[in-house]
Amino acid sequence: MKRTNFRAAAWRHTYAWILILFSIFPIYVVIVSSFDPTGGLASSSLIPQRFSWVNYETLFNSPTIPFMTWIWNSSYLAALNAVLSIVVGAFSAFAFSRLRFKGRKAGLQTLLLIQVFPAFLALAAIYVMMERIYTIFPGIGLGSHGGLLLIYLGGSMGVNAWLLKGFIDSIPMELDEAAKIDGASPFQIFWQIFVPLSAPVLAVTALLSFIGTFNEFVLASLFLQDVNLRTVAVGLQSFVGAQFGANWGPFAAGSILASVPLVALFLFAQRYIVGGLVSGSVKG
Amino acid sequence: MSKNYQRTGSVKLWPLIVKILIMSLFASGLGYMMYVAFLAGENLIGGVLAVILVAAFVVYSQKGLVPLKFLLPGIVLLAIFVVTPILYTVLMSGFVYKTGNEITRDQALTQIYETGYVPDENYTAFYMTLGRYEGEVSALLTEQMTMTAYLGTKGTATVLDAAEVQLDEYGTAVGLEGFEPISFEEAATLEAEIIDLRFDMGEGKFIRPESLDAASLMIQAFTLDPASGELYDSVNDITYVDNGEGNFVNKANPEEKLFPGWRAFSPLENYVGLVTDPVIRGPFINVFIWTFSFALITVVTMFAAGLALAIALDKKLRFKGFYKSVLILPYAIPSFMSILIWNGMFNRDFGAVNQLLGAPIDWYNDPTLAKLVILIVNLWLGFPYFYLISSGALQALPGELEEAAAIDGASPGQIMARIKLPLLLQILSPLLIASFAFNFNNFNIVYLLTNGGPINVLAGETAGATDILITYAYKTAFGSAEQNLGLASAISVIMFFIVGGLSLWSLRRSKVLESVM
Repeated sequence: MKRTNFRAAAWRHTYAWILILFSIFPIYVVIVSSFDPTGGLASSSLIPQRFSWVNYETLFNSPTIPFMTWIWNSSYLAALNAVLSIVVGAFSAFAFSRLRFKGRKAGLQTLLLIQVFPAFLALAAIYVMMERIYTIFPGIGLGSHGGLLLIYLGGSMGVNAWLLKGFIDSIPMELDEAAKIDGASPFQIFWQIFVPLSAPVLAVTALLSFIGTFNEFVLASLFLQDVNLRTVAVGLQSFVGAQFGANWGPFAAGSILASVPLVALFLFAQRYIVGGLVSGSVKG
Repeated sequence: MSKNYQRTGSVKLWPLIVKILIMSLFASGLGYMMYVAFLAGENLIGGVLAVILVAAFVVYSQKGLVPLKFLLPGIVLLAIFVVTPILYTVLMSGFVYKTGNEITRDQALTQIYETGYVPDENYTAFYMTLGRYEGEVSALLTEQMTMTAYLGTKGTATVLDAAEVQLDEYGTAVGLEGFEPISFEEAATLEAEIIDLRFDMGEGKFIRPESLDAASLMIQAFTLDPASGELYDSVNDITYVDNGEGNFVNKANPEEKLFPGWRAFSPLENYVGLVTDPVIRGPFINVFIWTFSFALITVVTMFAAGLALAIALDKKLRFKGFYKSVLILPYAIPSFMSILIWNGMFNRDFGAVNQLLGAPIDWYNDPTLAKLVILIVNLWLGFPYFYLISSGALQALPGELEEAAAIDGASPGQIMARIKLPLLLQILSPLLIASFAFNFNNFNIVYLLTNGGPINVLAGETAGATDILITYAYKTAFGSAEQNLGLASAISVIMFFIVGGLSLWSLRRSKVLESVM
């Protein structure tokens, strides 16, 4: 009985192992190269030969590769965008879910239509627009974090509002009716009932928004020319793009440093994220 | 009673103060920006800021309009940073807007006139003494052949009476009542202003400084006939006409253009070019076909791999927890990084893939192999997502179905193929369509992995073998050789229609639009 069981399961294990090898192959390569002191793609070999921290040291000390600045730029841009777009998105989601007003249905359909268009499709127009804004307000125009953040905010607003509306819809109406009878204003209902109740959902939506922004490359590469303003995506691309072979070691170290916190966050929130995935497409 | 009243009063006072503080900070910030914008002559930006300010004031300063209180920030962000760029893209796609045609028609004409200044037929030259006359930078000009003296001031030159001018020993005019000469040192600091001096002599002729002490009589070769809109070059005797595409072209030979051109409104020009101009059409069609096949193949392979994994792990299995947490890793690592890592791994000489295979395969220089690389890497990135959604959907299927089929004598394979799979496809089709739309615009995978290559630049190719529409549009708009914002916008508009149409179709299928109450 046991033998047949195992035989029946053999193909399952085999298939899983094929995909596991496929999955960890690049991860293995990048870890091995990050500890290879010779640093170049030319010297990296599949079997580890030498061990050293020199690539990590390069990353922290090299004046031409402001790696920590890039990580910081990406992190605070992604965090600001996540928080602000969740706040603004939650306001809109609440209004659409709980308040009754003229033009609500048309507004919802417009929101739905807008959020299916990826913002960066309009990149030529965004470029020209932000170039013009730059001439009067350099702080929120082309080349600035402020301008990039505004574009990100606009782009993630629609999706976040739509996701959050779905969640608020699932909170029973009786709750706010009871609060209304007790004399609560819509703002009190929002802050004192919905925000605490949706805290986990808000957090996961914010996390997804954070990951999305952290991964964003097109707009950031178009916007940020100054080396010290770059995000980690643009920065790493620029320094591997220039001399891929030579910078491979520090690049591998940098990728590991930048990925570890995100992977940890992701695995931590995995249960919630998977739930969100099945109920509506979020990423991928 | 009074105690109670006070309590509610103090509860309501603080939010009010905070509200007023925030609003006045916001209003003064926005008001200042508005002031700066109008001061810089950017009336459009100033106007938009004014509208936001007024709207915020109307919505937040009174008790009513509660829904708008919640919606206004979102509406403003979406309107300015999403809807406006989309509409502007549509507008730009109607313009000839590329390198050489970037400025307005007036700016282009100014620059064309600038190239049209030529000396008159006699090469008349003047000695010049710079000075100030009635506060304006002016010049005393002495014609070198006839020694006639002129005063050039405020854009015109007038003949001076011999009696009123002071002459030096060579008969050159050097002084005049009310004319204060400028020293050479001071003149050097005024260079920019002096270069732009023009003194009209009538009949289309004018005097223009050549250095700090000499000037010559110039004519403007170009004359624009306001009635016919034709530009006549009197020196070369060529008539130029507006070709409607942002350039003046030789009437006799429309291929001969005057530069610079301008952004011309020609609504269908870019779209017609995509269909008829062989230089644009060729790469566009190839890119178009590859974009569709890439999105389709990649979704099918990712879904197949992910679904198979979900089926494999659907039963109770040893190590299942371990498998799951390792297999989700590709999805958890920031995708731009994994793409760059794979980029290095497919390097011909030192890449890990070739080391593993033991063969120096040139992945990036062969169109088919480069496409394969993109599909493999995207499979790596995407199969965990499809595993997650497939296994989620599999578990959501009612168990009675399987039991009923088993009682009817169906084998597990039959149950999977005939019952579960069709149901699964139905449940997941919105996500499959969404994934198709996402990969249709998957900029990162192409740009960071192959950068659209291989591309044969020497053969004049403008698109690489792995370029998809979005990377092609990006290169068209921001390429190093020519930047064609108009054409890029036209490509974007086409993508808007494809992606928008797909999404609408998918939404309609899943009845989301109707269910919106």
